[in-house]
Amino acid sequence: MILSSMQNVVFGYGNEPVIDHISLDIHSGEFIGITGPNGAAKTTLLKLMLGLLRPWSGTVTLNKEWAGNRGLRIGYVPQQVASFNAGFPSKVIELVRSGCYQRLGLFRRFTAEQEDIVKRSLEQVDMWEYRNRRIGELSGGQKQRICIARALAQEPQVLVLDEPATGMDLESRIGLYRLMRHYVSKHGRTVIMVTHGLEETSPYLDTVISLERKENEGWKCLVTNSCSAHFGPEA
Amino acid sequence: MLGYEFMQRAFWAGGLIGIIGPLLGVYLMLRRQVLMADTLSHVSLAGVALGSVLHLNPALSGFAVAVIGGLVIEQLRRSYRTYSELPVAIIMTSGLALAVVLMSLKQNLSKSFSSYLFGSIVAVSDTQLRIIAVVAAVGLVFFIVLRRPLYNLTFDEETAAIGGVHVGLLSFSFAVLTGMTVAAAMPVVGVLLVSALIVLPASIALRIASGFTAAVLIAIGTGLTGVFSGLTASYYINTPPGGTIALILLVFLLMAIAIQKLIRRRNRKKHS
Repeated sequence: MILSSMQNVVFGYGNEPVIDHISLDIHSGEFIGITGPNGAAKTTLLKLMLGLLRPWSGTVTLNKEWAGNRGLRIGYVPQQVASFNAGFPSKVIELVRSGCYQRLGLFRRFTAEQEDIVKRSLEQVDMWEYRNRRIGELSGGQKQRICIARALAQEPQVLVLDEPATGMDLESRIGLYRLMRHYVSKHGRTVIMVTHGLEETSPYLDTVISLERKENEGWKCLVTNSCSAHFGPEA
Repeated sequence: MLGYEFMQRAFWAGGLIGIIGPLLGVYLMLRRQVLMADTLSHVSLAGVALGSVLHLNPALSGFAVAVIGGLVIEQLRRSYRTYSELPVAIIMTSGLALAVVLMSLKQNLSKSFSSYLFGSIVAVSDTQLRIIAVVAAVGLVFFIVLRRPLYNLTFDEETAAIGGVHVGLLSFSFAVLTGMTVAAAMPVVGVLLVSALIVLPASIALRIASGFTAAVLIAIGTGLTGVFSGLTASYYINTPPGGTIALILLVFLLMAIAIQKLIRRRNRKKHS
């Protein structure tokens, strides 16, 4: 099923477009990797998909009905979010619990089920023993892991990760890719991840979206595996 | 001291502002909007001057203009994302320039203006106390009811937006509340020092608190202690309350830094 569809999308900063007439369908239930060199507009593509940026022209449609009556929940871990908020005066467990707020609304209390979800999310990224630490006391990789745990605690149908492995050691990175693969294969979730290390992640991915620069043609979006894509103004 | 009605009013006003100001300050600091309180106090001063010139109630006109200023800053913040301090500088200078020009139009304003600039215990009128009570009540309801979306918004606006928080609406309501709080606090601490009451307790709390809830509670506790001791000292030694409260809070901050350094040094010695 199509989760997000981009048709002839153009977007840029200043006067020059960085996304130029890209059409792309994202299917649910897949582990999708977005890759490309620096400046290839990977994060921009992600933000357009999520509706955080409005395209200059073209359409972006997020199929919210796909999630059913409970509503679509998207867990998002932006690039370097943990480092930016290093001084945030919060305990690790407070931050991860905040992932449950969307489901709880303004007043509903935390139940034992929610506390279990928070515990499981922290255990899955090997950070449960750090639950009472202040965020600022953690290393860059650990901060990144608790932000992923926060997104997992949302119990999202779609998980969007922008270079989540930044600052993590090899073991933690492989653990993260395995965990995401597990979420997709066993729980039918969709994971979209911006990554630089394609050689490391490709064994776990279903689909790869590569943003590549072609001579005299600007940036192009190439999709391998099951995703369909069309390029150029005529698409 | 508390036998005087004006001191009772000052303590009530100070107590209410001592709760809502530091609470707001924690969020302002974490959203990197520390200078917003200072800016809005200058804008509010222009509102007070405008009210006097137009023969309106200065307290109410100052209040209204501060709220409008908050909304304008929020709108400009969205337009100048890369230079978020720029709208603050623009509005601050505009507010002060307007206040100075309006003041010159009315010669007998300067005396009452000094009470707005530096705060005055006797400056708290019944109307102002009522305004402060309403602002404190609205602020407390706002921060208690919306504590969950506010936490997410403060941590990161993008993840909050995707997580279902109405970021635009919440940010605008926050800006309105900031304008309201600043305008309400002005008679007690004065235009020039209103941000001290909002920022200093929060900066102490953010240094020593282990968690978010603890930071909020420490900020409120510090704010209240600073306000009550500042008002008392100001009564007995006849100093402006704004400056006295700010100096006491500054001493608290220096003490917090010193104690924290001592604890760290002791911990390092234990491990070496």
